Amino acid sequence: MNDFHGFANPYKPYGSNEAQGGLAYLATKAERLRAERPTLFLAAGDMIQGNNWANIFQGKSSIEAMNAMGFDAMVVGNHEFDFGQSTLKKRIDEANFPVLGANVRGMSGLKPYIIKDIGGVSVAVIGVVTDETPVSTAPKNVEGLQFLSPADTVSKYVKELKDRGMFIVVLSHIGFVADIELAKKVEGIDVIVGGHSHTRVDKPALIGKTFVVQAFEHGKVLGVLDLNVKNKGIVRAEGRLEPIIPTGEKNETVGEIVAKYQQQVDAIMSDMVGESLVELDGTHVRLVETNFGNLIADIMRNVSGADAAIINGGTIRTSIKKGPILVGDIYGALPFDNYIVAIKLTGQQILDALEHGVSGIEEVRGGFPQVSGIVFTYDRSNPKGSRVKEVFVNGIPLAIDKEYTVATNDFLAAGGDGYKAFGDAVKSSKDYEVTGGAMKGDKLVYCDSGRWLRDVVVDYIKSQRVVSPSVEARIREQGKTD
Amino acid sequence: MRVYVNDIEIHLMTGMTVRHALVYSGLIVMIKQGKKVYDEAGNEIGLDGALTEGERIYLR
Repeated sequence: MNDFHGFANPYKPYGSNEAQGGLAYLATKAERLRAERPTLFLAAGDMIQGNNWANIFQGKSSIEAMNAMGFDAMVVGNHEFDFGQSTLKKRIDEANFPVLGANVRGMSGLKPYIIKDIGGVSVAVIGVVTDETPVSTAPKNVEGLQFLSPADTVSKYVKELKDRGMFIVVLSHIGFVADIELAKKVEGIDVIVGGHSHTRVDKPALIGKTFVVQAFEHGKVLGVLDLNVKNKGIVRAEGRLEPIIPTGEKNETVGEIVAKYQQQVDAIMSDMVGESLVELDGTHVRLVETNFGNLIADIMRNVSGADAAIINGGTIRTSIKKGPILVGDIYGALPFDNYIVAIKLTGQQILDALEHGVSGIEEVRGGFPQVSGIVFTYDRSNPKGSRVKEVFVNGIPLAIDKEYTVATNDFLAAGGDGYKAFGDAVKSSKDYEVTGGAMKGDKLVYCDSGRWLRDVVVDYIKSQRVVSPSVEARIREQGKTD
Repeated sequence: MRVYVNDIEIHLMTGMTVRHALVYSGLIVMIKQGKKVYDEAGNEIGLDGALTEGERIYLR
């Protein structure tokens, strides 16, 4: 199993009308298969973060269910670091199974490998995670940690363990393409059980003498690899993915754990996080500056330490009434799994982004900008592309050639709603590098892909208790007096 | 990070996923219409799957 991401309940994937997954159903299938012969039950990372069912409890729910399911080992995925190192240490302590991370330096509790006797065969399971982990989580989450090359790390341990006559399994969270390269590069690996790329490997890939498998995502399938081993070598291998659908028998214990935490998720939606002294306007975010747009953009700029923030109005889906603000209100207003990034843009790219933002106003497009740290004027009577007049960043006129750090969400950074400026900046960026666990990008200066924007907003409002954002003439339409 | 969607080169931030590649390419709406994403070897990949430098993915 890999890339579970807390999808404990069956769900209909985007584009599908059929419910899939369900941890309690998967547990039953695993239990039955394990009763047939000696087995290893492995988790290839990204188990504790993603869905609200896991996020709200910082992954505690996932570990409790995995304990009940009897996993033999898990490797940390990049998203296991998303709640910070102290939380990850707690999760490792709670796990009844070893948590692996051979190429992670500085994180206590992680083991490089385990050795298990499976039906008389000594099996070594070595765990490695992507060395791009520092790029995908907030810098503080990996401060002081080092992520070494997975291939070099595996090579070192394979040599040591092969000399001791072990059957070698690599439990990896580096992605299918990297797994294939690992199998080509390092001799002596018998099986790679992978994750990270969410690849549905229906039949195991055979690279030299190494079988490479991966079981899709979100517990929608259970990966099964049947092996016959003789004289420390594989004489027969048969792999398949068992589809998991929410019908038939479900494991009672796991079902109770899933339900227990889901009830808490539902209850938490009614928790009050703070109070707003004004209505938070999410209704007009595609047309004008709104106080809700300002609040969200301000939070994003503040959290990322950027000079400015630009988001698409379409990020905000509803208004929130004056008075108590509930967790469910924020989740309803910000329903998308978006995260905060900050990218260095030139003044020209900021101007291009704003021009694009106001180019679809007649069509009430979701791309209309909400901004922080920026004040600008536009005139809709001008042709699209030349509507923006004056732009100020933190009170100073925009300098076309100057570079500014601009916070946005990952959707716009990927070119969503037709925004190209962020993508252009990324394209011109030199490769990032990771030094001492911290990500040093040329253009990308902040990325926290493990924390959804809505959760950042909940935490901010909790810390403030009372909010009262206003419209501050950050976006001025020329010729409009109100 | 350079990746290819239906053999067209695009650039994304390192750490971005299949979903971001489809957003960039304007193809995300095709998923709702029942299309799926595959890697070069023909394996289906999930929308939240990590991409690597030079990877080629196909929507069909």
